[in-house]
Amino acid sequence: MNKITKLTIVLGIVSAIAGGVLAGVYQITAPVIQAQNIKELHEGLSEVFPGNYKFEEFKGTLKSPDPAVTFGKIYLVKKNGKLVGMIVDVTTPGDQAPIEMLVGVNRNGTINGVKILKSLETPGLGANANNPHYYVNKKKKITFLGQFKGKKITDPFIPKKDVIALTGATITSTAVSKGVKAAGVAAYNYMTKEAGS
Amino acid sequence: MKKLKIIWNGIVPSNPVLILAIGLCSVVAVTNFVKNALLMSFAFSFVLILSEVIVSSIRKWIPDEIRVPIFVVVIATFTTIAALLSHAYFPAVYDAIKLYILLVVVNCIIIGRAEAFAYKNGIFDSLLDGVGMSIGYSWVIIAIAVVRELFGNGTIAGLRIMPQSFQPALVMILPPAGFLVLGVLVGWLEWSIKRKEANKK
Repeated sequence: MNKITKLTIVLGIVSAIAGGVLAGVYQITAPVIQAQNIKELHEGLSEVFPGNYKFEEFKGTLKSPDPAVTFGKIYLVKKNGKLVGMIVDVTTPGDQAPIEMLVGVNRNGTINGVKILKSLETPGLGANANNPHYYVNKKKKITFLGQFKGKKITDPFIPKKDVIALTGATITSTAVSKGVKAAGVAAYNYMTKEAGS
Repeated sequence: MKKLKIIWNGIVPSNPVLILAIGLCSVVAVTNFVKNALLMSFAFSFVLILSEVIVSSIRKWIPDEIRVPIFVVVIATFTTIAALLSHAYFPAVYDAIKLYILLVVVNCIIIGRAEAFAYKNGIFDSLLDGVGMSIGYSWVIIAIAVVRELFGNGTIAGLRIMPQSFQPALVMILPPAGFLVLGVLVGWLEWSIKRKEANKK
């Protein structure tokens, strides 16, 4: 047997064994990872709409009014079969990488809650957007995301005007505000026009 | 005694981070919070110890010409397993340092130990070398992370240590402080080794 063939066979055997082991480990971990993703999603949804609501995946699509902001999955929030709000999975360009968040919008055109799912903002600056102990209003203990609760979607959503910006993180503050506003406007328009009364 | 020396070798005399000074990219990146450093230590130790044991146990069948590709296959397999396990059981921390866990595959400490030690020594010695090097790596990155998180965030492993009025020094959890704290630690170790030698004379 010539040398090259032998080397190929040895490397092939090692790779095949490695592949087999990986397939086995994947079989074990895949269901755990999947269960976790579903649990995280449910926790996220009930965080932006706390209370006894039913969440349904929205079949149609919404068009984002802001070209920089894109929408992922959309959920209808129902109580006793009636549509009371919507939750939009929004991706907005952050400082270093896109920020993905869930935005809950009430039927009456106010924001119900915002939760950041994924972000890579600077620790200590932009990452404070997602810090539950970092208050932009220390007296009232309002977090950066907390300030959006109950905010009307007709507001301008501009940091340092009607949104309290994070210290040293204007880009993050603007990105989040833009994303929340875009989701709010799109969902509200849908709920007033398409869904009827 | 000789066996203990193999372990001790990785902890101080040939400490992979402080003395050999290799694989520093992930050291700087994951030491901003203690929980990141802990997960990284787990992933690193898992990959290093198992890779060394496997490489050493199949070293007689590995043709010399393709030993490096085989090391890479072995290391990549264990890295993927470590990443899958971290994703399944420590999802929050995994999300924060995902990239660096996957990059363990090209960590020069691991391929270096496979080539320099496991390929030439028996299974048990390779296991001890893996354990020693893992402890050496882990204590350094956890020590750096404790200092950085304490001054940069006022906490250790998420527990608040500093009083609420403490104003965190942001630079400590940003990458530059990784180099600063690492530099101080390297300097301190060099100094204490030199002093020991001087005392002997």
